[in-house]
Amino acid sequence: MKITALLTGLTLSLPLAAAAQTASDLIKGESDTANVVNYGMGYSLQRHSTLTQINKDNVRHLVPVWSYSLDDSHSEESQPLVYKGVIYLTTNNATMAIDAKTGHQLWKSKVDYPPETPRVVCCGIINRGGAIYDGKLFRTTLDANVIALDMKTGKELWRSNAADIKEGYSMTVAPLVADGVVITGVSGAEFGTRDFIDGWDPATGKHLWRTYTVAAPGEPGGDSWPGDTWKHGGGSTWITGSFDPELHTVYWGVGNPGPFNAGVRKGDNLYTCSVIAIDPKTGTLKWHYQFSPNNPFDYDSVAEMVLATVKVNGKPTKALLDANRNGFFYVLDRTNGKLIAANPYVQVNWASGIDMKTGRPVETDISARARAGEKVVVWPSILGGKNWEPISYDPASGLAYANTLNIAGRYKAIPADYKAGDWYLGMDISDMWEWPNGPRGYLRAIDPMTGKTKWQVPSDIPRFSGVLSTAGGVVFSGRLTGEFEAFDAANGHKLWQFQTGSGIEGQPVTWQQDNVQYVAVTSGLGGVYSLFAGDERLASVPAGGALWVFALPPR
Amino acid sequence: MVRLRMIWFALVGALWILAGIPALADDAPQPETGAALFQRHCSHCHGFNMVTPGTIAPDLRQFPRDAHDRFVATVTRGRNNRMPPWGDILTPEQIDALWAYVRTGGKL
Repeated sequence: MKITALLTGLTLSLPLAAAAQTASDLIKGESDTANVVNYGMGYSLQRHSTLTQINKDNVRHLVPVWSYSLDDSHSEESQPLVYKGVIYLTTNNATMAIDAKTGHQLWKSKVDYPPETPRVVCCGIINRGGAIYDGKLFRTTLDANVIALDMKTGKELWRSNAADIKEGYSMTVAPLVADGVVITGVSGAEFGTRDFIDGWDPATGKHLWRTYTVAAPGEPGGDSWPGDTWKHGGGSTWITGSFDPELHTVYWGVGNPGPFNAGVRKGDNLYTCSVIAIDPKTGTLKWHYQFSPNNPFDYDSVAEMVLATVKVNGKPTKALLDANRNGFFYVLDRTNGKLIAANPYVQVNWASGIDMKTGRPVETDISARARAGEKVVVWPSILGGKNWEPISYDPASGLAYANTLNIAGRYKAIPADYKAGDWYLGMDISDMWEWPNGPRGYLRAIDPMTGKTKWQVPSDIPRFSGVLSTAGGVVFSGRLTGEFEAFDAANGHKLWQFQTGSGIEGQPVTWQQDNVQYVAVTSGLGGVYSLFAGDERLASVPAGGALWVFALPPR
Repeated sequence: MVRLRMIWFALVGALWILAGIPALADDAPQPETGAALFQRHCSHCHGFNMVTPGTIAPDLRQFPRDAHDRFVATVTRGRNNRMPPWGDILTPEQIDALWAYVRTGGKL
């Protein structure tokens, strides 16, 4: 009798333990409308929800349910995660758990880092979010640590150091948990680092593997770097990869080479400006595709690699979509890295197209002249055709929704001298913008196969917010001037907006809880555009981070 | 004799001071040196050429031009857990060069 009771107790306790968070939960995240368990709202990073309670006919009634102060005056670029009615959110200096219905803080765990750390942070004092698995929340810290917190209490369970800030490394990336491994990238390419992707044991924080994104001599691709240039070759990895659980493959974008001055590192500079396909258990490289070989223009390729099934010659194909910073929209076969389509989605003058046989860009003389040290005007600018802010992809319409940039750059390479922890740019930054007359950005609905725009919404000050789309026919985005906006996914007509009080550079998400669909986004100005563009119109936008949650009013 | 020696010393001293003035002027902090340091260390928060909306890090074009000591203290030791300390990287001479550049308001 006692044994039976004990067994019953054990059986009963199993679901409780499993209730924490499982690998299966993460795989199902894509279609789990009650939670947001993945960065990108699914391993495919599509940021598209099948929810329809909020739709294009009623979104004009949307109202804020609550707002939560992040007690921080930096850019808020973190994506909220939602699990069983609790929102998990990060800033550069804290991790928080918040009751999703009331906005009541359940716990807050502060993150401290040495005061010297911001010296090696190029583009905003930020964090992009956490990952949850097996009752733990994993996140990175600005001073290049990976930490695990107890999801119930916020207590730190382990801390592992990935790199040294004195060498120019920092971390802002949201980790990815794939096949039971916590995977993180790193920042630092503007400071002469040699970058990498790491795998960690979720239970203990033990370091499992490291895959460098800059090939060393003797390794495949090592001959694409002359002399010792690989030692400071950059290749940052600060945006979370996508994951195909069927193929057991992670797709991670790799950043720009260092220094920007391409003349001092003649060669393709593998694997910078590439996507690499890796085995999450070992970090072993399966294939790579390089978008921009020997790139002078900071066309890093860290931004999201979206996974989707697209029809190629009538045949459904496992594809990878990338609105690359270099101005071309790429579609690759993600089983082997072969190019399916590559077309410009913004104005481009550094290349006339992509050679479909070799996959390499057909460069114009702009690129050659830039490498030779001549001052050139290049489209797009070093901010790219699209910067880091993630797109959404609607598998039903086959359209991608992206905040694109309409900015040209003045580019001139100059010598770069390396000193550990110092900027290592090799570019004249005293005169670098060629502003257009009119809008500096457009929210665009783009056909990934052709790069063509179906509709666009201009913005004088460009949008740097992530995009969220829903089966309700609504596209959500935000402006640096604070407006959170909703558009008709079919034609781009503006349906609604709400002023959040600071600029939006966050990543909106949606979920449904107790029959109410919620939409959440962070507000808080201070990212790459506000720091580098010198756009004094933003002087009227106050800093100050907050999380906003919206829903339709109760009937 | 003593008086002659004093006059001699005074003359030598005067010549030394006179000769020293141009040398001292050459050693004065140069805004151009400060501009190069600013680009490398400061511009990614305070804006290229100091042009910034000033919402995240202060707009240094508005920094009081008579607040040398506050500038040096802030750069050296950091401030409010936002501005990082630079005293272990930049020399006092380099910080003075930065000050010379900041006083130009970014207009060289």
